[in-house]
Amino acid sequence: MAAPAFALYSFLYLYPAVTNLLYSTQRWDGVTTPEFVGLKNFQNLLTNDDLFLKILGNNIRFSLIVVIFQTGFALLFATFLLKNTRTNIFLRTVYFFPTILSSVSVGLIWTFLYDPNYGFINAVLKAIGLDSLAMNWLGDARFSLYAVALTQVWFHTGQMVVIYVAGLQQIPAELYEAAEVDGASRWQQFKNVTWPMALPTTAVVVAYTTIQTFRAFDLIYAMTSGGPLNSSDLLVTMVFNTAFVGYKFGYAATQTIFLVLLVLLVTYLQRRVLRIDDGTKK
Amino acid sequence: MKTKGHKAFASLRAGVVATVAAALVITPLAVANSAEAPTFGKRCTTEGVSTGQTTASLICTEGSNGRLTWQRVRLGSTNARPVATSTPPKGTIEFHHWRPEDRAVLQGIIDKYESRYPGTKINQVIMTSVDYTNLAFAKINANRKAAVFVTSRGGQFNQFFAGGLLADLSNQRFMRQNVIASALTPGTVGGKVYGLPYQSLFNNPLYNAELFAKQGWKVPTTWSQTLAFCRTAKAAGFIPFAWPGATRGNAGQIINSFLMNSAPDLATLEARILAVDTGRADLTAPWFVEIANKYKAMADNGCFPANPTGYNDTVAPADFAAGKAAIYPTGTFGMSTVTRLNPSMSGKMKMMSLITTDSRPLYQGITNNTFILSVNAKASATDQRIAASFISFLAQAENAQAYAVGTSQHVSIINVDYAANVDLLNTSDIMGKKLLLAPRFLFNNVNNVRNPMEDALIAITGGADVMKTLTDTSRTIKQGLSS
Repeated sequence: MAAPAFALYSFLYLYPAVTNLLYSTQRWDGVTTPEFVGLKNFQNLLTNDDLFLKILGNNIRFSLIVVIFQTGFALLFATFLLKNTRTNIFLRTVYFFPTILSSVSVGLIWTFLYDPNYGFINAVLKAIGLDSLAMNWLGDARFSLYAVALTQVWFHTGQMVVIYVAGLQQIPAELYEAAEVDGASRWQQFKNVTWPMALPTTAVVVAYTTIQTFRAFDLIYAMTSGGPLNSSDLLVTMVFNTAFVGYKFGYAATQTIFLVLLVLLVTYLQRRVLRIDDGTKK
Repeated sequence: MKTKGHKAFASLRAGVVATVAAALVITPLAVANSAEAPTFGKRCTTEGVSTGQTTASLICTEGSNGRLTWQRVRLGSTNARPVATSTPPKGTIEFHHWRPEDRAVLQGIIDKYESRYPGTKINQVIMTSVDYTNLAFAKINANRKAAVFVTSRGGQFNQFFAGGLLADLSNQRFMRQNVIASALTPGTVGGKVYGLPYQSLFNNPLYNAELFAKQGWKVPTTWSQTLAFCRTAKAAGFIPFAWPGATRGNAGQIINSFLMNSAPDLATLEARILAVDTGRADLTAPWFVEIANKYKAMADNGCFPANPTGYNDTVAPADFAAGKAAIYPTGTFGMSTVTRLNPSMSGKMKMMSLITTDSRPLYQGITNNTFILSVNAKASATDQRIAASFISFLAQAENAQAYAVGTSQHVSIINVDYAANVDLLNTSDIMGKKLLLAPRFLFNNVNNVRNPMEDALIAITGGADVMKTLTDTSRTIKQGLSS
C-alpha cells in the first residue's frame, strides 16, 4: 500500500521540488533552452537585489503583524465565546463568515472601504472630526502594508476562533474549579490554566497563520498589486512577477527556495519559542 | 402612452444625435486642416492627417516639390482591392483567445463561417486575460489543435515567436490587401508577417463633450493650455483628469502621450527607450526627468483627483460616467466601461490628444494594434489552412464591422464603417490625425523596467521627490536587469 502512495507523493511533490532546485541553477525564460549558471542566481539574490531585501522585510513585518493580532484576537474572542450558548454559536458563525468569502472579493470590498476619497473608513473618520487621520491607505507607501495586514487579520481571525474554541473546550473544568477554590482571579485563571493548556492549539494557530501570511498572494494582488513602489509586495507576489511577468523562471525558482527556507526557519523558531514538540508542552 | 411617446422621442433623439455625429465624422475628418473640404490634389496643411480608413480616403502628403496636397490613401500593403475568404478544407480547429466578453460576437461570426463552409468547425477556447498571459504559451505549445490564437503586442508575441509557434503569413493575400498596412507592424518580424493585429486601439484621453460644451471649455491643444484647463476645471468643482493612479495598467496609458512628443524624431525616441530598456541609460537622463517634472506639474496644477495614488480604475470611470470628471485618460477601450456604468454617456464621449509641448507637436495621438491573430506553426497543414481561412474571413470588412460594432473596438481592416456604433463613430476622427504606435510597449522588460518606471511616475504624482524617486528606481531597474 505504501508504494503507490509514495509514487503519487513523489510525482506530485518530490518531482516538482527537485525540478525547482534544478531550475534555480539555470537562466531560463520558459521558452528557449535553459542555460546552466551554477549558483549565480543565489549570489545575485543575496548581494545585488535590493528589491528582494525590501520585500523580504515587508514579508517579515506583514507576518509579525498578522500573527500577533490574528492570534491575539482569536484567543480573546474564543475565551468569550467558549460556552455553547445560542448567542455564542451565532457570534462564532458571524466571526467565521469572512473565511468563506473568496480572497479577491475580500480584497475588493476592503479596497472600497479604504478608498481615500469615497471610502467608508475615511468618511467615518471625517464624520467624527478626525480628518487628520483620514489617509490614502492603499496609495501611500507608508500605510499600504499595514492596511492589507489589517484586512488579512479580519479575513482569517474567525477561522482561528473556531480552532481555539475547539482547543479550549478540551481543558478539564476541574482545573478551573481547583483554581477558584485556591482563590485565583479571572486573570490568574487565564495565565495559569488557560494559556498553558492552550499552547498546543496556539502552536497550530501560529503555524497556520504564518503559512497563510506567506501565501497571501490573491489579497495583495486584488488590493495593491504590491504597490505603491513595492511597499506591499510580498515574496510570493515577487516570485509570481519574476516568473510570469519577467519570464525569469530560474531566478524565480531561486526566490522560491528562499521563501521555503524562510517558512521553515520561522516555523522552527515559533516551535522553540512556544516550547512545543509534537503538539505537547515540554 | 406617455412611456411610449417618451421612448419614441428618445429613439428619435438618439437617431438625430447619431445622424449629426455621423455627419460630423463622415464629413471628411480633416476639415479643420483646411478651409475647404479635402479634395484630391488640393492643398492641405498638416502632413499625415487623413480623411479615414476606406479605399476612398485621402491623406495629406508632401510631394517632391515640397507642397502638401491631398492624395489617395494606400491603406493596404498594395493598391489591390480586398480579397474574399480563402476556402478551407474540412476539419475542426480551436481558436484560443482572452476575451470572454467577445464570445457571443465572435460566435456569431463563427456560425456564419461554419454555415458557409459546412464540415469546417471552429471552437472557441477562452481564458481570462491573466490566465492567458501566464498559461497560453504552455497550453498552445502542447496542443496542435490550437490552430488559431491571439497574442498581445510586445512580450507575449515575442515569446510565441521565440517558441516557433507563429506561422509565416506574409504570402496570404488578405494580409496585403484587407489589412491596414501600418497596423501590421506589431505582427511583423524581420519583414515577415506572423500575425494580424485585429484591434486598433487609440490610447488617448476620452473627454465628456457635453460637459465641455456646457462649461464653455475648449479642448486643450498645447501643454500650457492643458495646465490652464486643469486649473479652470478644478475651480469649477470638476476632476479635470480621472487618472487611475492606483491601477498601474491604465495609469500607464498617459506615458504614451508624454513620450510621443518628447524627442525631436521617432528614431531618437526609440533609441532613448531602448537605452533605458537595456540598462544603458538611467531614468535620471534629462529627457526622462523632463517627463517626470511634467507629471509633477500636472499634479501641482490640480489635473489629477485628490489622493491620485489611491484612485483606482473602478472609481475613475465611475466619476467620468457620472459627469464628475471631465476627462478619462485611458483610451477607446474605456468607452464600453463608461457606457455600461451610465448608458446616457453614449454619444457624449470624444477623443482628444494630450499634447505635452507648447511647440509644434511631432505626433497628435497614439494608436496601438493588438489582439494579434496568428496561425500555429505546429498545427497540421490542413489545420493551418483552416486557420488561415478563418483569419481571412475575420478580415472581411462586413465581419470586422460586426466585431467592431458588437465589441466597441476599432479594427485594423480596410473599409469598416463605424456608423452603427455612435461611440466608435465619435472617436473615429482620431484616425485622421498623425498617430504614433504606442511607445509604452517598446519597453519589452515589463517586470524589470516598465513597471518600476511607471510606479515611479505614479509616486511622483503622489508627492515623492522627483530626483530621489528616479535615482532609486534606476538602481532597482539596473539590478533587475542584471539578475
